[in-house]
Amino acid sequence: MAEEKTFVDDIDRSRYDFRNEDGESFKVEEGLTPAIVEQISREKNDPEWMREFRLHSLEVYNNTSMPDWGPSIEGLDMDNIVTYVRPHTKMSASWDEVPEEIKDTFERLGIPQAERESLAGVGAQYDSELVYHNVREEVAAKGVIYTDLESALHGERAQMIREHFMKLVPPTDHKFAALHGAVWSGGSFVYVPPGVSVEIPLQSYFRLNSPGAGQFEHTLIIVDEGAYLHFIEGCSAPKYNVANLHAGCVELFVGKNATLRYSTIENWSKNMYNLNTKRALVEEGAKVEWVSGSFGSHVSYLYPMSVLAGRGARSEFTGVTFAGAGQNLDTGCKVVHNAPDTSSYVNTRSISKSGGISTFRSAVVVNEKAKNSKSAVSCQSLMIDDVSRSDTIPAMDIRTDKADIGHEARIGRISDDAVFYLMSRGVSEEEARALIVSGFAENVSKELPLEYAVEMNNLIRIEMKGAIG
Amino acid sequence: METIVNKPLANTFGWLNVNGTKVNAPDKMQQQEYELEEGAERTIIADFAAGSRISAKLGRNATLRLVQIRRGKEEDTAAAAGNLSEGGLKGADGTAVNDVRVKCSEGARFEWYRIVLGGEATYDNCTVELEGDRSSFEAQIGYRLGGEQVLDVNCEAIHTGKKTDSVINASGVLSEKASKLMRGTIDLRKGCKGAVGNELEDVLLMDRTVRNRSIPVILCSEEDVVGNHGATIGRLDEDMIFYLASRGMETEAIYEMMAKAKLDSVIRRIPDEEVRRGLLEE
Repeated sequence: MAEEKTFVDDIDRSRYDFRNEDGESFKVEEGLTPAIVEQISREKNDPEWMREFRLHSLEVYNNTSMPDWGPSIEGLDMDNIVTYVRPHTKMSASWDEVPEEIKDTFERLGIPQAERESLAGVGAQYDSELVYHNVREEVAAKGVIYTDLESALHGERAQMIREHFMKLVPPTDHKFAALHGAVWSGGSFVYVPPGVSVEIPLQSYFRLNSPGAGQFEHTLIIVDEGAYLHFIEGCSAPKYNVANLHAGCVELFVGKNATLRYSTIENWSKNMYNLNTKRALVEEGAKVEWVSGSFGSHVSYLYPMSVLAGRGARSEFTGVTFAGAGQNLDTGCKVVHNAPDTSSYVNTRSISKSGGISTFRSAVVVNEKAKNSKSAVSCQSLMIDDVSRSDTIPAMDIRTDKADIGHEARIGRISDDAVFYLMSRGVSEEEARALIVSGFAENVSKELPLEYAVEMNNLIRIEMKGAIG
Repeated sequence: METIVNKPLANTFGWLNVNGTKVNAPDKMQQQEYELEEGAERTIIADFAAGSRISAKLGRNATLRLVQIRRGKEEDTAAAAGNLSEGGLKGADGTAVNDVRVKCSEGARFEWYRIVLGGEATYDNCTVELEGDRSSFEAQIGYRLGGEQVLDVNCEAIHTGKKTDSVINASGVLSEKASKLMRGTIDLRKGCKGAVGNELEDVLLMDRTVRNRSIPVILCSEEDVVGNHGATIGRLDEDMIFYLASRGMETEAIYEMMAKAKLDSVIRRIPDEEVRRGLLEE
């Protein structure tokens, strides 16, 4: 009997791969010109400083070269990308007021149900604009602000937005940060007052429906001194034959002794270029926890960064990446230790199959001021077949002697020893291998609320069958 | 002549400035080529060499051991005067450029022992292609740098043959304003079934003004392989210092002892007894 190799199924995207006609949406022209940027600014009724900011960002974009170190993005032609698509509805705080087909989209993604059962607030973005935003009364009563960024830009917190917007990720950071600065639209603003603990998570969900469009939402979260927040971000899109682009930006300000957990389940379709930027500034005694699951997109560049700016600041990054056919997912994280007694912990898993490419890329920088800092990085990669690829490219830059830095990486296939051990305990070889592969990604799923862990396990529907070669 | 050396097989974030190093290299590079026949064994000692460009082809089951030692100013002077037995390369600004490229046939083995004890700036590239089945490569890199010395290394093990094996081990000590950049790449290419690559780095940092950069890369496009990397960078373990201090040792003496031990662990692996003994007694 011919031996059959371990079979790991592709992620089942049928739940996400449905589309609506976008004939009634308002769109700007394809491409990127000052006139288009001006038009977006007018459409969004930007304050003058934001209009100037957009135009300045466009200049930076035009003067910045493409990254020369990651996966190829030659298939992305900005002349073919529509940077602003406004759905034919205004933002609402009631699902009943959301147009039926858009509401149906989010129903199928399970967002209203999740809101009823396990969330303190939800923001739902459809193409370039939020269509729904709501926060529970008891959470709002504590002074927590959770709204769309545009409303915040014109509301009581306008000055706060101006003081923080793209200060952590300036347009000069890289080409796609500049692009974001020029055409950003949508996204959420969260402010948690000092000492307030938001016990159940807030969630923003980003859905890109329009073919050939870009989504450029901006998420700005400020967690004030001693406060706590868990924020969940989800994203998906139907698959098209043309390239779509996601160049969002997340800026997190974690105040003294505050804690922010930021969880992402990313499941873009396989025609998506996901060139996202996420960064957290972590003050004295504060902590940021990143939980990141990367399953979708054609090409991803995604490296959430923690800047540990205050004494005793901490960062934890837990990530899993699953690259299947046609995917090149370049993911990882960056940590900059800028203050004494800071610590960082990075723990990632990646799985490559059916010709998929997964790359773990990281940078840990410990500056002169970061005395008594500690960092530990652990990354493991699993190769399921010999047509896939898995790379590990970490970097450490240590500029003080008073630091303890550890790093370990491993790439390989399913351990024969582990299989043998399980088999010696009465588990069949097939079951043993299935168990090991399933458990491989558990580091992320166990960090998520139960509902999302189940969701993620559904995402990685792993099937093992046959004798193992 | 300004040129880019030590370009790695895989680039990373541009802002880290580690995707190659710009140096002022000599206009004329001296070249040594070696071809070892089946079963041949050879040990080359390049003591006092400021640097060189070496290429080698190793026949079936051949073994080449290359020991390269870089010392201090005396060697720079000797290099400038052209008094090096194995040839030396020295840039206009005192930098030493060393480039080693080796191809291994079936069962062949290449061992590279690189000890850097001095010199203003040292740029080392060592690229080994493990083309033949069961061929192997072992790199043992030891260094002790102080002042404003610079060590910049790019070491690559490219596995294409089946059941090939590589070990890259770097261990060293940085003090004062010394700076070290170690890029180690294990490239497990399609077809190298049964290959194993291991990389280990251990760096002791002695002063707050040092800079250590480590880029340990594993590239993998084959399923039936194992690639491992581990790194420990920083100061000495506090418990160990406490233990030794409780036995009457001064902190300075503890650091000196441990620094020597780190380098000695590499030196002890050098296959030539005379060189080994000489270095251990220094």
